[in-house]
Amino acid sequence: MLKKLMVDAFEKGLIEAVMAPAATKDSYTYALITKKEDVDKLTPIAPVMQWNGADMLRRITRLKKSERKLLAILRPCEARTYKELVKFNQVNPENIIVLSYDCPGTIHARTYKYQPTGIDELIAEIKKGGKSNKIREACKVCEYPTPIPNVGDIGLGLVNTDSPVFFALSDKGKEFLKAMGIEEGSRNADEWIAMHRKIREEWYEKERIRGGRKGLEEFLSSCLNCHNCKNMCPICFCKECFFEDRTVFDYESTKFFNWADDKDGIRLPTDKALFHIGRLIHMGTSCIGCGLCQQACPMDIPLYRLFGIVGNELQKVFDYKPGVDDAIPPVMDFREDELHEFEGLLGGEE
Amino acid sequence: MKEKKFEPVIVGFFCNWCTSAAADLAGTSRLHYPPNIRPIRVMCSSTVDPVYMIRALQEGADATILGGCHPGDCHYITGNYKARRRIAIVKTVLKSLEFDDDRVLLEWISGSEGPKFARVMNEYTEYIRNKGPSDFKYLDSLGGEEVE
Repeated sequence: MLKKLMVDAFEKGLIEAVMAPAATKDSYTYALITKKEDVDKLTPIAPVMQWNGADMLRRITRLKKSERKLLAILRPCEARTYKELVKFNQVNPENIIVLSYDCPGTIHARTYKYQPTGIDELIAEIKKGGKSNKIREACKVCEYPTPIPNVGDIGLGLVNTDSPVFFALSDKGKEFLKAMGIEEGSRNADEWIAMHRKIREEWYEKERIRGGRKGLEEFLSSCLNCHNCKNMCPICFCKECFFEDRTVFDYESTKFFNWADDKDGIRLPTDKALFHIGRLIHMGTSCIGCGLCQQACPMDIPLYRLFGIVGNELQKVFDYKPGVDDAIPPVMDFREDELHEFEGLLGGEE
Repeated sequence: MKEKKFEPVIVGFFCNWCTSAAADLAGTSRLHYPPNIRPIRVMCSSTVDPVYMIRALQEGADATILGGCHPGDCHYITGNYKARRRIAIVKTVLKSLEFDDDRVLLEWISGSEGPKFARVMNEYTEYIRNKGPSDFKYLDSLGGEEVE
């Protein structure tokens, strides 16, 4: 159905390229096509999210705006990432049309490799208003599983309906659908979203990392310090990362011995927990909750519990919903009269 | 080590234009402030990435202070507002993970407030001395109270 839309749009000259997932032997990657004959090679709705599509758009438009009219098929979380990256000036939205859909969730890439599950099975679940229990943790506790107005351009409704419906999310999308001659439809997804939110609220309470130093140490005890979580994170787009600079953590041996004296022995490398706390400080306010950090972890640390839950606390402080609000990300913005409770020892200025 | 009275180590990041000047003024006014403070002069409070404060805490400091100009008085117009957002972020992260977020302090001390500088440093050192050693320095170490 989405493929038919792509072919029609190609024929009407509304788009000149498409970016959507395509199957590989064991997984799905993003693919960019520029000819309508290639549409059949795509799988617009894939059961695996190996990379964040918005990150791929960043790669395409990093140097210059998209020179061809590009239709990007993104999951709702990727569409939110796209919006967030536009705010960070990492993606140029010009000439890009984003289509997102009611997401049936995705399966952990490694699970899929050994036990493939078809996308039809996942979609069949959401057509009934439920969701599969095979999907990733981040998908189970997804906060925004449906297309949101002003995030992306076109939405595709799949929940509680046997015939998928298209609807516009922005003026650009409205024009596109009009030119395509597609009637805007609607479907009722409120209950479905409420179900997700309820699970998420319970998850916040249940999976929070407690216990200060000991709790965090236990949580990260199997961390390899491989930085995969950072590499997969679409918000960690910096070209030079503080934690990748090896010289920052170079010390003379006496320093290590002194630490070992003072702290009754130290664990090496010394920047393991610091890396995660540092990353929380740097990108926590913009964590959109794709959960790719958790999928990328070779030691299966449920990292999304760290970034998702602490990120949520941070976003509450700034009253900001990354990828949903039109406001500038908190780290790029300030108010003159705010946050007085963080000043001084007891809060508030004298 | 137990017999000796606990003396905290406090790392202070002081902005060049206000808090560092206040530290100088406190010195030339012969006001006493404790030797526990290890001042580091930075050009602006907003140049301090909170990761450096966290790192100081992990490497052995018991507390950190970020000192900047009063809101509206920043030499670079808006630096201290950005610093305040960063401190809000780092304090929220520490609180959310159930660390002690009082170990990070943000203070506005202008260049003419030598007495305030001395008072804040004395009060904060006393506060941290009463609190006892920071647990954060044992992050990723074999020491600390609770481990085995």
